[in-house]
Amino acid sequence: MPLNAVEVNDLTRRYGYRTALRKISFSLEEGGIHGLFGANGAGKTTLMRILSTILRPHKGEVRVLGLDPEEDTLELRARLGIVGDKPLLYAELTGRENLRFYGRLYGMEKESIEKRIEDLSQRFDVFEWLDEPTKILSTGLRKRFDVARSLIHDPELYLLDEPFSGLDQDSSAVFLEYLDDHRNDRTVLLTTHNLALGARICDDYLTLKKGEVTGQGPISEFEGKL
Amino acid sequence: MSSGARAAAAIARKDIVSQARKRFEVFSMFLFALISVLAFSFAVAGQVEADTASALVWVIIFLTGMFGFAPVFISEAETGTLRGLSVAPVPSWSVYIGKVVYGFVIMGIVEVFLIPICMAMLNFSFTADPTFVLFTFAIGTLDLAAVGAMASALTMPAESKSTVYPLVYFPTATSALILLVEITRILVSGPGLIPVALLLQFLVAHLLAMTSLSGAVFHFTLTG
Repeated sequence: MPLNAVEVNDLTRRYGYRTALRKISFSLEEGGIHGLFGANGAGKTTLMRILSTILRPHKGEVRVLGLDPEEDTLELRARLGIVGDKPLLYAELTGRENLRFYGRLYGMEKESIEKRIEDLSQRFDVFEWLDEPTKILSTGLRKRFDVARSLIHDPELYLLDEPFSGLDQDSSAVFLEYLDDHRNDRTVLLTTHNLALGARICDDYLTLKKGEVTGQGPISEFEGKL
Repeated sequence: MSSGARAAAAIARKDIVSQARKRFEVFSMFLFALISVLAFSFAVAGQVEADTASALVWVIIFLTGMFGFAPVFISEAETGTLRGLSVAPVPSWSVYIGKVVYGFVIMGIVEVFLIPICMAMLNFSFTADPTFVLFTFAIGTLDLAAVGAMASALTMPAESKSTVYPLVYFPTATSALILLVEITRILVSGPGLIPVALLLQFLVAHLLAMTSLSGAVFHFTLTG
């Protein structure tokens, strides 16, 4: 029986008087690309933030990779790769320095950081830009570096919140190819407003509406609307 | 080195390298400090004793700190990079300590240029006991950096950051300022009723209390 990468039971999260997630329950199996779809304000980003340990639930139980985000925070963070719509890069540092910095934060040794930078920069076609300050790079190149940043420590679970925003077609294709190659040995939870793209690359889907789960199943059953 | 200490060193190093490339923040801190020295020298030079003039150095450093420590976390929150630190597998105190070290270094750079100018413009000298002076400036600057970094972190969620920051920084840093002014006066004018070593112990206690308390509660500023 496959293990679950994410298990959520009766999860509730509020912002003041507004309930962002209302008693939601679902689970996602290890491996594959899981799509998390919903309109603006559906609760996708709140859920992603809870899974990535930066937001605490008000009620309910959450397990990610078998760990409790509140109790096993650092252990879990070391196994997550997170990409949001905004690159988490320091403008004054070069791409290489940014990747080295994040490698150090993830406790990697110098040699493995350098090797990983080499591999990822080749993979995402940013090798020739490695020693340029990221502030001079185009949005697409910065995004490619940001994706490389999220993968520097070879995470087990990728939490991708609108990762394709700001990416041109070529950059999206490179990233999609990477995800496709790791479909079997890594787990991906992906939010996107591009439902056609989501339907094309995801193995299954979960839909949220006004903080509640409205559907879950194999992507073949997804009707392409929310 | 523990993983937390390694992370703190990486964060401090990253900020120092970024700052060295930007330059304008340290330069604007120095400019602010220099203008303050000039203004004080016009107002009081020759009219006040050396011990009072020397105490003004800490007032200038205190005000420069208000200006220089504020962006320590606020700029990370504004650019969005704080999220990268929030989701990294490092203890939150290491993020705080990394920022304190960075604040200490940039303020230290400003002080290296500022103190000789102050001595020349305000007519006093710190040469009587250089080791003690150096130690006082190191502890004092570290203390103000510790308070400044925490104030910056607490100010992040505020809408009106420039109003909130001094309201947080001023009351928490004032106790250190009073001690530093008193120690500096004694160092310049000779021993007073209270031994300077006792005041220095209070200052070290203030630094330890600020860093340990801030380090302990810092994770609340990174997670919601």
